[in-house]
Amino acid sequence: MSEVRRFVVTPTDDPAAVLVRLADELSLRAASSTVVERTFLDTADGRLDAAGVVLELRHPVDGSGSASLVWTEDGRTVATHQLALPEAPRFVADLPAWPAADRLAGLMEMRALVPGPTITTRLTVLAALDREEKTTARVVVDTSVLRNGDDLPMLVELHELRGYGREADRLEKRLRAALVLEPFTGSVAAAARAASGAPAFLPSKLRLALHPTAPAAEAWRTVLRALTDTMTANFAGTIADTDSEFLHDFRVAVRRTRSVLQEGRKVLPPERRDEFRAGFKWLGDITTPQRDADVHLLDYPGLLASVPAERAAALEPLRELLVERQRECHGQLVADLRSMRRAQLGRDWAEFLAGDGAWPADDGGEPGSDAPDSLRPAVVVAAERIHKAHTRLVRDGRTIDDGSEPVALHDLRKDAKRLRYLLECFGSLFPASDVATAVKPLKALQDTLGTFQDTEVQAHALEDMAVQLVERGAPAATLLALGAVIEGVHARGAAARVEFAQRFAAFDSHTVTKAYERLSEDAEELS
Amino acid sequence: MKVLATYNIKGGVGKTATAVNLAYEAASRGNRVLVWDLDPQGAATFYFRIRPKVKGGGKAIVSGRRDLDEVIKASDYDNLDVVPADFSMRNLDLMIEGSKKPLATLRRVLRSVAKEYDLVFLDCPPSISLASESVFRAADALLVPVIPTTLSIRTFEQLDRFVEENPEVVKDLDVIGFFSMVDRRKRLHRELLVELRAARPDLLDELIPAVTDVERMGVHRQPVTAFSPGSRAARSYAALWDEISARL
Ligand SMILES: Nc1ncnc2c1ncn2[C@@H]1O[C@H](COP(=O)(O)OP(=O)(O)O)[C@@H](O)[C@H]1O
Ligand SMILES: [Mg+2]
Repeated sequence: MSEVRRFVVTPTDDPAAVLVRLADELSLRAASSTVVERTFLDTADGRLDAAGVVLELRHPVDGSGSASLVWTEDGRTVATHQLALPEAPRFVADLPAWPAADRLAGLMEMRALVPGPTITTRLTVLAALDREEKTTARVVVDTSVLRNGDDLPMLVELHELRGYGREADRLEKRLRAALVLEPFTGSVAAAARAASGAPAFLPSKLRLALHPTAPAAEAWRTVLRALTDTMTANFAGTIADTDSEFLHDFRVAVRRTRSVLQEGRKVLPPERRDEFRAGFKWLGDITTPQRDADVHLLDYPGLLASVPAERAAALEPLRELLVERQRECHGQLVADLRSMRRAQLGRDWAEFLAGDGAWPADDGGEPGSDAPDSLRPAVVVAAERIHKAHTRLVRDGRTIDDGSEPVALHDLRKDAKRLRYLLECFGSLFPASDVATAVKPLKALQDTLGTFQDTEVQAHALEDMAVQLVERGAPAATLLALGAVIEGVHARGAAARVEFAQRFAAFDSHTVTKAYERLSEDAEELS
Repeated sequence: MKVLATYNIKGGVGKTATAVNLAYEAASRGNRVLVWDLDPQGAATFYFRIRPKVKGGGKAIVSGRRDLDEVIKASDYDNLDVVPADFSMRNLDLMIEGSKKPLATLRRVLRSVAKEYDLVFLDCPPSISLASESVFRAADALLVPVIPTTLSIRTFEQLDRFVEENPEVVKDLDVIGFFSMVDRRKRLHRELLVELRAARPDLLDELIPAVTDVERMGVHRQPVTAFSPGSRAARSYAALWDEISARL
């Protein structure tokens, strides 16, 4: 691929004058000049931006020609597509059949593209030609205005053509002599976002920097606030059902909040803690039906792929049932999220998290008087909780053998989650590398436990749906195909069950135990 | 990466016009395309206004001393690059004969750019020889323009027979024939079209008519769709590409 060398023109002269200079002094030939309205697309968490991908919808402003979808990276055009309707794609399935579309699909996964800032750009293309009138390099001058009328810095791109590197070098020298240029390394999309004051992308991970020696109450408060921010950031997308990740991230924040409350024994005043544990349990519970329905829909393409192609069409009634279910669940969820009860919980919680230091006691007494751990160093309290959770996971895991009931593995998954949440929420109290060493084998164990339980739940749900489909008079072919699907799900579950022993043994090893002991030692050293 | 070779033992049947115009069509649909001009006459190179010269000569490429990568030139069009012709390529046969595994030569050379391109068009000189066999090995499909004359159809059949009789050379090679330079005003063309279609039902449905726009490519030095979009020729090449790409 040929390189694009990008520059900002400083200070921005009159754009028209710049163009005339380029044409006259550098004898570049004007190839085209168009004015386009550009709307940048990205997922709510900025996955394209993070990968250096710019995807935009372009409308020619003079109404000539159709809208197109343009994919660039570092100024290079990766792919373009003329749109029959000026509608932006939302999901992976809506992307054009670009040969490289898989790369975008891999970045987006289940996320929807949402429109970001819109700018209007005059794109002027100038060509350097050789004696045969063959283009040897292109210069693209890009002058953009934001919706509010503000100008973005003027950009000059030198598009090197493959096999014509020397010509590009020569032209760059002459460009630099003619104009004052600074290298530009960002993207126009990012520049437009920054200049238009567009909201920041949703963070995909909890990013905390807790102080090891600060009182535990402060660390707990900081974590709970960050989780509340995540819930708030994902609230509108959950209500609008923009994509399934908003609800997913909302739920993860709720579950982490519950876990941090649970681990907050002796850090938070006991009655308030109980009150909020109940509150967030309810909030978690009301989101479960839609999440289950979302998961079925997300799994559907995989299920489809697991049956022979000639049977796939027979599964259509199942898909319709899943879609209908998801819509019902979403309607209910929206009602619950807009209820008085939810609003009250939000207000109480915000009030509880306001302020700093330890919380006043339930009876209004001295802060910390009914929460003896609240003023101890955060790292010490967190290390104790991690130690306890680790010990319990190992103890319970050792009682499981090939004959154990599935419920034993489900319970073990809860133990594992508890430990994982502790490490995620309080990990920044410890040296990062020690946390990473502790998390890695835990993650592997969780993956297996997760697959095992998810397949059980999925098989169960599909069996339920089979009954419903029978009641609706679905054709036998549908039920046969569904039978094959369920069989496949059971097989995956069985494989995970076999894998468990090995994964647990790896977790219950000397090295991993040492990694967890290391965290307690860290706590001692840091406090 | 799929490799397509425009091929016919005869010259002047539209091989180069096909390679250039289909490559342009495929590139404009978002495929990353490379045209390799294997004909020392350099007609494809000329249409792209590129100098017919390869750094170090074609021999350096065939021998593996120089990577194909180093001699590729961008065309004036997005997604479309060219390996220019080189006069030394008139000795392609000799060069290939002299290399270690003569039949695998082109395939090996192309492997180095497999990640960069979705499609390669090899524009072949007319002849059947060791070089052609190396082309057959490297290609996934041969695109064979056939002028509706009794003689052309006979050469097409010869090619078919060669492919059948030499399975060791042409594993999985798809031979795609289509009518080229068809002049419907000529009664002979019309009659032969019907007759030959009956004899060779595997020929593509789409055909390329004989039109002056294609001849004018030499004046414009551009693919026909670039200077005459929407013309009959442009539409024919687009439809031909629809049919070929569906078959790949
Ligand atoms: N469809 C067509 N209509 C009219 N002229 C054509 C057509 N295809 C090719 N030609 C002309 O015929 C001549 C030979 O075509 P070319 O593509 O170079 O054939 P080849 O590569 O098989 O030798 C060229 O002058 C070209 O302009
Ligand atoms: Mg030719």
